[in-house]
Amino acid sequence: MPDRSLEKLQPTFARRVIALVAIGFLALIAAGIATAWVQIRNQDNAGWVEHTLSLQSKLGAFASANERAETARRGVLLGGGPLFRQRMEEAVAAAEATLREISQLTLDNPVQQERVLAIHALMEQQRIYREPRMLEGARAVRAGQLADDPAVQLIRKIRAVAEAMAVTERELLAGRQRNQVQTQRVFYIVLAAAGALVILVATLTLMLMLRYTRDLAASRAELRRLNTGLEGMVDERTAELQRANAEIQRFAYIVSHDLRSPLVNVMGFTAELDAARKTVQGHLDTVEEKAPELVDEPVRLAVREDLPEAIGFIRTSTQKMDRLINAILRLSREGRRTLLVEPIDLAVLVQAIVDSMQSRVNDLGAEIRIGTLPAIANDRLAIEQILSNLIENALKYLQPGRPGLIEVRGHDERERVVLEVIDNGRGVDPRDHERIFDLFRRSGTQDQPGEGIGLAHVRALAYRLGGLIEIRSELDRGATFRLSLPKVLNPGGE
Amino acid sequence: MTNHQPVNIVMIEDDEGHARLIEKNIRRAGISNVIRHFTDGTTALAYLYDSPEGPAQNGPALILLDLNLPDMSGTDILARIKKEGSPLKRTPVVVLTTTDDKVEIQRCYDLGCNVYITKPVNYENFADAIRQLGLFLSVIQVPEVGEAD
Repeated sequence: MPDRSLEKLQPTFARRVIALVAIGFLALIAAGIATAWVQIRNQDNAGWVEHTLSLQSKLGAFASANERAETARRGVLLGGGPLFRQRMEEAVAAAEATLREISQLTLDNPVQQERVLAIHALMEQQRIYREPRMLEGARAVRAGQLADDPAVQLIRKIRAVAEAMAVTERELLAGRQRNQVQTQRVFYIVLAAAGALVILVATLTLMLMLRYTRDLAASRAELRRLNTGLEGMVDERTAELQRANAEIQRFAYIVSHDLRSPLVNVMGFTAELDAARKTVQGHLDTVEEKAPELVDEPVRLAVREDLPEAIGFIRTSTQKMDRLINAILRLSREGRRTLLVEPIDLAVLVQAIVDSMQSRVNDLGAEIRIGTLPAIANDRLAIEQILSNLIENALKYLQPGRPGLIEVRGHDERERVVLEVIDNGRGVDPRDHERIFDLFRRSGTQDQPGEGIGLAHVRALAYRLGGLIEIRSELDRGATFRLSLPKVLNPGGE
Repeated sequence: MTNHQPVNIVMIEDDEGHARLIEKNIRRAGISNVIRHFTDGTTALAYLYDSPEGPAQNGPALILLDLNLPDMSGTDILARIKKEGSPLKRTPVVVLTTTDDKVEIQRCYDLGCNVYITKPVNYENFADAIRQLGLFLSVIQVPEVGEAD
C-alpha cells in the first residue's frame, strides 16, 4: 500500500474511533437518564396508587359508618333505647369525619369533589330525620312503611354516590397500574436500545482497530519492501540505461562505419584532384614561361586560386567530418570493449591522473586537491577515462583571473559510491546541463579546442558502468560533476 | 609475382570509388598485373569458378575481398573459396575492408584468409596502405591453381 493512504488513514481512523466512543458514551448516558426517569415515574405512580388505595379504604369506612348510622336509626325507630341513639350519633360523627378526610384526599379531582359535596348535602338533609322530634313522629310509621321513609331514600342516594366514587377510584387505579406497566416497557426498550448500541459501537470499534492494525502492519511491511526495493529500482534504472546505451553504441558503430566509406572516396579523389591540379599548374608554369601570351587571366585564376581554394575547403570539411566520425567510432568502440572488474585504489588512480597533467596545472597556476575516496571494484580503464576527462575539463574551463582550485573526492551512499569533481571555474549555464553531455555539443565561450566529445564519452562510460552522472553548476560559480557508481560492478548487468 | 603464368588480381569491392583508388595506388606501387573488378559477390563467384578465363580454370590469382557486399557477406565468399575441396583453396585472399571488429578479424583468419587489412579512415593512410600492399604483392609467391598435393 502506498504511503499516501497511510497518511490518509490516520486522521480518518482517529475521527472514526472518537465518533464511535462518543456514541457509546451517549448510549450509556441515555440509559442512565432512562433509568432515572423510570425511577421518578415509578415513585410518582406508586404515590398515586397508594393515594387511590387509601381513598378506597376511606370510602369503605365511610360506607360502613353510613350503614351503621342507618341501622342505629332504625333501632331507634323500633323503640330501641338510648344506646341506639348514642350509637347512631357516633356512627354519623364517624361518617362525617371520614367524609372530611375523603374531601381532603380528592382535592385534585373536581368530579369526586362534587360528589363529596353532594354526599355532604344529602347528609345535611338527613340530619333533620335524626332529631328526637322527627324520630318520635316517624316511629308511628313502623315497619313495612320503611320504604316510604324519606331518610331511607336519602341513605340510598348517599350509598349510590359513594359507590360511584369507589368505581371512579377503581378506574383511576387501573389506569395508574396501566401507566406503570407502560413506563416499565419504555424503560426496557430504552435499556435494550442502549445496550444494543453499546454492543454495536464496541464491535465497530473493535473492527476498526483490527483493520487499522492490519493496515498499519501492511504499511510497515510495504515501507520495508520499498526501502529494500529502492536499491533494486536504481539497479533497474541503470540496467535500462545500459541497454539503451549499448543499442546506441551499436547504431553509432554501424552509422560511422558506413559513413566512413564514402568519405574515403571524397578524400581520396580530392587528393587525386589536387595531384591533377599540381600537374596542370606545372604545365601552366612552363607555358607561362615559354609563351606568356597563351595564358589568359581566367585560366591563371582558375588554376592558381579557384582550384586550390575549392580543394582546400573540401579538405578541411572532410577532415572535420572525418574527426567527428572517428569520435563516434571511438565512442562505440569503447562501448564494445570488454569490461574487466577489479578492485581499484582510487587515491592512486587519481594521483596518477593528476601527475600526468602536472605541467599544465603548473602553467595555469591551479591546484588539484584529492580528498577521501571510497573503495570500489570496477573497470579501471573506464574509471580512469571518466575521471581524467572530468579533471581535464575542469582545467580547461577555469575562470580567467581566478586561481584554479579543483577537488576530487567521494563517499559511500548505501550500496553505491559517489565521486565528485569540483572546480571553481566558469561554470555551466543551467540551461546547458543536459546539452553538454550530448555528442558534439558544447556550452559557453568557445575559446578552447575540442569537438564536444569528452562529456558524451564520460556519460556513455558512466552508463555502461551502471552509473549516473550529473552536473550541478551555475555560470561563474564553478561546477560539480557528480558520478554515482555501484560499489561493485556486475559485468553481467550489461 | 614471379610465376611463369601471369597472376590475375581479382578485386571484389562494391564501392566503385574505393576500387578505383585501390587500383590507382596499386599501380603506383609498380604492379602491372591485370585487375578484374567485381562489385557484387554473385558475379565474382561466377567468374572465379565458372569463367574459362577465371582462376579455377585458368592460371593463378590473388583475391582482394571486401566484406561488405550488397548481395552477400564477404565472409561467405571467403568460406566458399577456402573450404575443403575448393580448387581455389590455396589462392591467397587479402581481406580489405573497413571493419576493424576483433571478432570479424578472427573469424576471417579462422576461415583461412591470408591477410586482413583494415582500410584506414584517413585517405593518406589509405593510399599508403594500398601502396604497401602493392609492394607486398610484388614479392609474394602465388601457388598454381589445382596443383596436386
